[in-house]
Amino acid sequence: MLQFITKRTATLVAAVVVSSFAVFLIPYFTPGDPVRKIIRSRVAGDAIDDASVQRLSESLGLNDPLAVQYLRWLGDFFSGDMGLSFVSRTPVVEQVLPALSVTFSLVAMALVLAAAVSLPLGIISGLRPGSGADKAITAVTQALIAMPEYWVAPVLVLVFALKLSVLPTAGWNDLSSAVLPALTLALRPISFFTSAVRAGIVDAAAAEHVPAARARGLSHGQAILRHVVPNGLVPLSTLFAVWFAGLLGGSVIVEVIFAVPGMGRLLFDAVVNSDIPLAQGGVVVVVALAVGVTTLADFVHRFLSRTVGGTLA
Amino acid sequence: MSPLNPGLVLEGLEVGHQGPDGGTSRKPLLSDVSLSVQPGEFVALVGSSGSGKTLTAMSCLRLLPAGLEITGGSIRLGGLDLTRASEQELNSVRGGRLGMLFQQPKRMFNPNQTIGQHLKEPLRLHAGLRGAKARSKAVELLDEVGFADPAKGARAYPHQLSGGMAQRAMTALALAGQPGMLLADEPTSALDKMLERQILQLLDRERRERGLGILYITHNIASVAAYADRVLVMNAGSIVETGPARDLLTRPQTSYTRELLAAARLAPESRRRPPSTERDVLVLDSVGKHFGPRRKAGNAALQDVSLTLRRGEILGVLGQSGSGKSTLAKAIVGLETASTGSITRQLDATGARQATAVQLVFQEPHGAFDPRMTLRTSLQAPLRKGHDLTPEQRDERIAAAMAEVELDAAMLDKRPGQCSGGQLQRATIARALLLEPQVLICDEATSALDALTQRTILNLLLRLQREHNLSLIVISHDMDVVRYMCDRVAVLLEGEVVEVAETKDFFAAPRHPHSQALVEASIPCRADGLWSVLDATAVRSPAPRQGQS
Repeated sequence: MLQFITKRTATLVAAVVVSSFAVFLIPYFTPGDPVRKIIRSRVAGDAIDDASVQRLSESLGLNDPLAVQYLRWLGDFFSGDMGLSFVSRTPVVEQVLPALSVTFSLVAMALVLAAAVSLPLGIISGLRPGSGADKAITAVTQALIAMPEYWVAPVLVLVFALKLSVLPTAGWNDLSSAVLPALTLALRPISFFTSAVRAGIVDAAAAEHVPAARARGLSHGQAILRHVVPNGLVPLSTLFAVWFAGLLGGSVIVEVIFAVPGMGRLLFDAVVNSDIPLAQGGVVVVVALAVGVTTLADFVHRFLSRTVGGTLA
Repeated sequence: MSPLNPGLVLEGLEVGHQGPDGGTSRKPLLSDVSLSVQPGEFVALVGSSGSGKTLTAMSCLRLLPAGLEITGGSIRLGGLDLTRASEQELNSVRGGRLGMLFQQPKRMFNPNQTIGQHLKEPLRLHAGLRGAKARSKAVELLDEVGFADPAKGARAYPHQLSGGMAQRAMTALALAGQPGMLLADEPTSALDKMLERQILQLLDRERRERGLGILYITHNIASVAAYADRVLVMNAGSIVETGPARDLLTRPQTSYTRELLAAARLAPESRRRPPSTERDVLVLDSVGKHFGPRRKAGNAALQDVSLTLRRGEILGVLGQSGSGKSTLAKAIVGLETASTGSITRQLDATGARQATAVQLVFQEPHGAFDPRMTLRTSLQAPLRKGHDLTPEQRDERIAAAMAEVELDAAMLDKRPGQCSGGQLQRATIARALLLEPQVLICDEATSALDALTQRTILNLLLRLQREHNLSLIVISHDMDVVRYMCDRVAVLLEGEVVEVAETKDFFAAPRHPHSQALVEASIPCRADGLWSVLDATAVRSPAPRQGQS
């Protein structure tokens, strides 16, 4: 187990380092000289003389070798100095952290909702595969995949905000304003979770140890509750984490439509405004978090399913 | 039979397919099965695989696989008609008055729960024990079945137990509800002889001490001779013969029983001439294999193994589970590389032929074929590379190999799921023969098969060996197989060869203490006299002993 944790943690660090290096290189591949951009963002007027460019490059350390620059940037980054936003001229970290907490709650709400819906649905259809209920549940949840967020969101707004006037159209103020974005975000996970739970339950119910449990005197219901459902849900932990990680950076459309001040919105604005430090900060934080969550899920999965890699024991 | 009979009584049991046309258009799987087991009685139910033994046991628990149902007859347990009992009554019977001991213990445990958690279920349901009381009782049960550290055993997950320990834990689980009657479905067929003896002695002790009635399902005739009071012989869903163990084993009435007994008695004496030449084809010199970090001595799967295989010889490699037998097989074929030492091939082949001249026959035939491919596609694969054959020549070669292993060419269009274990094992051998091997390694090649099929496969291997002058390495934990097949025996213990001897000498006077234990355990214990009587059976039996020259 200890070896597993060290290995996984090493992979995590490697993934963050590699992706942060890619992010670090972004300015070198964007058209235009970043130094000139910085000067332009700070002084009014078009005239930029080469001497000031040279001076700024020197003071920013841009004449140092790439590796030195990268390590300095990485060190600053993880000690909380992510630079200044080109647009707002405020520290990037002060924008990223609030946005992150908003997205975090939004995604958490969406996934809790998704789990709450798909667990019972998946269990019902998995216990009686081929039944009418199973067919109906599978049809509906599969249809959800085909509904893109940019279509679902306006429809939901139309129905709940404009026609019924029970929920706000956009913004991020109280819990009611979170309902529609969370619901929109939850639809696709509902579909995937339901089919994963269904498959897990079908597999677990077919295991030979289930009739063996019945032979000990467990009723059908007890056997399902103790030996089928818990085993069938093990694969869900990984899927849950993958979706959590994916939605942290993948909630752009929903955040933009509903004007939610989260990470997706922040990255969207940063890209539109060519705000390189803000984009860099946002991406690295999202990547680090995504890899972290996935690793955590591996630990949980390992704990839940005792036999993964257990052949060596 | 009186309804107050305390035992388990089946009368005219019939099991068939469910549904509107069930029972009428399709043949029932069990028909007219009548048997009884009284408290304190050890009754054996024997028959080849697929004869309906397990189905009979599952019917008693009313836990038939989906699609099957009891279509006639009655099952009574101490006056209660189980075919009419309510689900609630059945739940108190299952694991309570009627226990079930399964084969393949590892697959019968929930992999995500500890042994202790499993044991608490019957203790709660049938003894009303909860919490700390259930915990201490669970530990007590594990102690009784022979766990060295029962508290640790209770905390273990099923995959952390060895096969023998898992079967002991399964036995504790079956006995936890203090059943008066136990259905034991091949509880020892996956175990080696020593573990088998321990489990059966455990059951026999329960029988003597508290009058446990046992229905022992098996295809292992030797253990029947040693423990059973009465024997029932099952074939194609019906009981074909029944009687006291001694009578039935010594004077079988039906040809099926005679065949079954003959198959179980693999002739111990040498059945073939010694190899004609003394030339070695394989030389293993101090072969070692380590998995994981080297520094830990415990990681050695093989240590300092030196062996030679002569041309035309059959060498047996005996060892218990985990002794390194399979690693040795893989190292010889080249599926694993040896960490130390060398394996030299001295064959009449060069280049690519040299590489394929040593072939492996796997243990689990169902695992050795791709389930999605027909046998034809699977058999074509080895001929694709390095052989300049036209598709027609390829088909000819495959047809010839199929004929060698006595399989109908029509089988080629089937998929593994449609074949029996015996048919597939023949196909595995055919696949190995395609590459014209000079050495064939059989890794527990018949241990997944029932006695009748096992015998035919062993005889097939003997014939192929004679006709092609093959050299064979037979890896097994089954003493009878080794004694039947081999010229010489090598004993593997924890990765080391502790003894190499001529088969005759080995079984007469094993030198190493481990070998002595193995040989001793292969002789049944309770009714020593029966063994010699059984020899007489083998003489009486009309079934010819093949391979004698």
